[in-house]
Amino acid sequence: MTASTRSSGDVIRKASKATFVLQSFSVVLLMGLIFLLTDISRRYASFQDGVRENALWSVYQLDREARRLHEVLHVMLAEQDYSSVTVKALGTRFDILYSRINILEKTSFERKFKLDSAVERQIADIRSIVLGKVGVFDALALHGLFEPATWTPIDNELEKLVSATEALLVYTNNTVSTDRAEAREEILALQLKSAWLVILLVCCVVVLIFTLRRQLKSVRLAGLSLEAVSNELNDAYLDAEAGNRAKSQFMATMGHEVRTPLNAILGTAELLELSPLPPSVAAGIQTIRRSGQALLEVINEILDFAKIEHGKLDIEIRAVDVLAVVTSTIEMVRDRATEQGNQIALRMPETFGSPVVSTDPTRLRQVLLNLLSNAIKFTSNGTITLSVREIETSQNSSLRFQISDTGIGIDDAGLCKLFQPFSQVDASINRKYGGTGLGLTICKQIIEAMMGRIGVESRKGQGSTFWFEIPLVIAALPIPSAMASDHDLSRTLPTLKILLVEDNLVNQQVAVGFLNHLDQKVTVVGDGCEAVDAAAQEAFDLILMDMQMPRMDGIEATRLIREAEGGRKKVPIIAMTANASEHDRTLCEEAGMTGFQSKPISLQHLRVIIETQGLLMSKAQAEDVQAVDSENSFAMRKAEIEAALGEGTFEELLSSFFDDATKLLEGLHAALATNDYRSADRLLHTMKGAASSIGLQRIADTSQQLRSGDMSENSITRLADTIGELRQRLAA
Amino acid sequence: MQIRMLFTSLALTALCFPTLALALDKPKGEVILTISAAHLDHPNIDETAQFDLPMLEALTSRTGEMETPWTEGKVKFSGPLLRAVLEAAGAHGSTLKIIALNDYSAEVPVEDAAKLDTILATRMNGDTMSVRDKGPLFLIYPFDKDASLFNEKYFSRSVWQIKSIEVSE
Repeated sequence: MTASTRSSGDVIRKASKATFVLQSFSVVLLMGLIFLLTDISRRYASFQDGVRENALWSVYQLDREARRLHEVLHVMLAEQDYSSVTVKALGTRFDILYSRINILEKTSFERKFKLDSAVERQIADIRSIVLGKVGVFDALALHGLFEPATWTPIDNELEKLVSATEALLVYTNNTVSTDRAEAREEILALQLKSAWLVILLVCCVVVLIFTLRRQLKSVRLAGLSLEAVSNELNDAYLDAEAGNRAKSQFMATMGHEVRTPLNAILGTAELLELSPLPPSVAAGIQTIRRSGQALLEVINEILDFAKIEHGKLDIEIRAVDVLAVVTSTIEMVRDRATEQGNQIALRMPETFGSPVVSTDPTRLRQVLLNLLSNAIKFTSNGTITLSVREIETSQNSSLRFQISDTGIGIDDAGLCKLFQPFSQVDASINRKYGGTGLGLTICKQIIEAMMGRIGVESRKGQGSTFWFEIPLVIAALPIPSAMASDHDLSRTLPTLKILLVEDNLVNQQVAVGFLNHLDQKVTVVGDGCEAVDAAAQEAFDLILMDMQMPRMDGIEATRLIREAEGGRKKVPIIAMTANASEHDRTLCEEAGMTGFQSKPISLQHLRVIIETQGLLMSKAQAEDVQAVDSENSFAMRKAEIEAALGEGTFEELLSSFFDDATKLLEGLHAALATNDYRSADRLLHTMKGAASSIGLQRIADTSQQLRSGDMSENSITRLADTIGELRQRLAA
Repeated sequence: MQIRMLFTSLALTALCFPTLALALDKPKGEVILTISAAHLDHPNIDETAQFDLPMLEALTSRTGEMETPWTEGKVKFSGPLLRAVLEAAGAHGSTLKIIALNDYSAEVPVEDAAKLDTILATRMNGDTMSVRDKGPLFLIYPFDKDASLFNEKYFSRSVWQIKSIEVSE
């Protein structure tokens, strides 16, 4: 996967390089082209600047005028025509020639032409000839006298002038032609250069296009391979996730596996402690129990961490009495503190602004317990102070818990490692004090999940102060006071018929031991199937149901028991489980379980369960008494009637009621068959009146119920059944 | 006597025909420009319009200071507008053939006269021009007003030593 990605990456990089080079080259070419074009345009501009009178034309005109002057004079002399018109024409011709000389001298021609020394010399010669004739022509113009004798040599001189101008014309023509050819060659060269540049540029663009195409192609390929890689990564991630989940599952299972025997150990130890033992053994048993407890805590921590790592940290917000939580937590660790020679002090205001807050009591207790345990662990013969106070700021209010000890303290390096998983301040700590190194991490996660903050201040050798703050949300609901009576050990428990469903023999023994200790009647079964059978045969007051069992688990058994019960009174079923996750809890509720108790089950837990169940039962009995009361009304009525009418009369009344009732029922059936509801109603009214007059309240009530709507063949049959049943009972 | 009668009749005709009222005077001095055409509104001699220097200088004129390829430095040219001269002659047509003393000629579209302030320069730097100085008339485009005129196309039309103009359709 990476090989293909890398190769496509290389291709892209190479292509990018090539593109860059080509782009640079194109830019250079373009600049060259621009330079060339500016050069051409500059040349053209100078050409424009040099818009001048055409030199060749001027020289040609000069030559022509010279020839015409010579021609006019020659013709005049030859034809001897000296009229004023021809003389004037001759003057004009000279003037024109003169102006032409001026033009040659004054007019701006191509610089090159002007700078040509040969041209200059020739023009000077011509000029001197022409200027030499000015006097003669001026005199001619002034006097109009033409002397052929004077003009004949001039004619000859003009002949020379003509040859001079002709020579100039030829020379000029050659020069101009050469210039033109040179200029053309120069322009051609420039054009050629431009053409080359353009060709190169086109080549560049073509190559550029090709490279870009290749680049695009490789980008597409790279995209595809990246996609593939991302898919692979995704798969790998899923695999890792699955692995992680398997690990969590493994940890949960391991936790369960470890906790089951641990429960047995703890339970047995607790049971043993209840029996009279010699002091040496009693101390040993206590050690077993303490160590077991510690082991349980470690396991719970690891399981908690596994849950946190999996993002499954559940926070259950409830109304919590802070004082109760704090006090009970301190009580839990007081023994341990005393063992280390530590004193525990609780500092909190007499009254809280809000004694009942919304938070998770279990998690709060867990964090407090952890921090207190740490403080106790690292302090000997010192004081551990737990202070609680409310902090009000403008934005929010919070509850601050602070646990200070006078223990060994932590140095700065150690402080950095705190709150990181599996880290303890140093290895020696681990050796000396033990622990998973997970406690503070778990605390931090919990507090953060509760939207709080946790921190520590400590100096080596001067004790530590751990603190945390949780948002103070005043609870709207009062806390249930169920826990309040929990500790009332002196109360005598009702004796219940309890079905214990537990596959593990040791756990069975422990639970039976506890229950016997609490004077309960216990039936023990080993799995779900047996439990279902037992529940069908016998009525129990309470079922304690293990969750994981061979053959049939607790969930399935509960479901079947609930099905068998149908509409009858439901027997309370309490689930007992080692893995008390939210999911399990939901499963239990769905199956129809009444309650939920996480393992290990202690004597105290059992006491609370039985006590609660006893209370519920006595309430139900009170309801039964009420039912009996309605039976009593019959007896009272009977006594009343007998007192008034004499004995035996009631029996007669009763039998005649039942006779009438049979007739009334027949009438009812008939009325219903014809949909005559009015007659039916009347009949029921009669039935009700008769029944209540002899104290048969149940029949009266049922009749009234039928009248108020539920009138059908079935309900009539039910009424008939009730009547038949009572008749039999009273006859007996 | 006859001439006088002719003048009188001409004057009468001029009264009757307003167009003839603007008929050209006959040139008193040396004729320096002759305009000929198939038909002229105001001919003065033999169906042509002939002008001497004062006649030309009496027409609407302009003066422009400019550089030309044929002069050194800035030169001030002044003279009647070509269109004023054509109007004075009553010439109509599309093409003007400007003919020089040396029989050089250039064809000039009449638009050059109508749209451009082209003049028939009679003076350069205030002096009349002799034939030796490209006189007596020099067709000067307004190079001072419009630099785009400064090219060979207009140079070739800038005829000097002008002696006559032929107007054709």
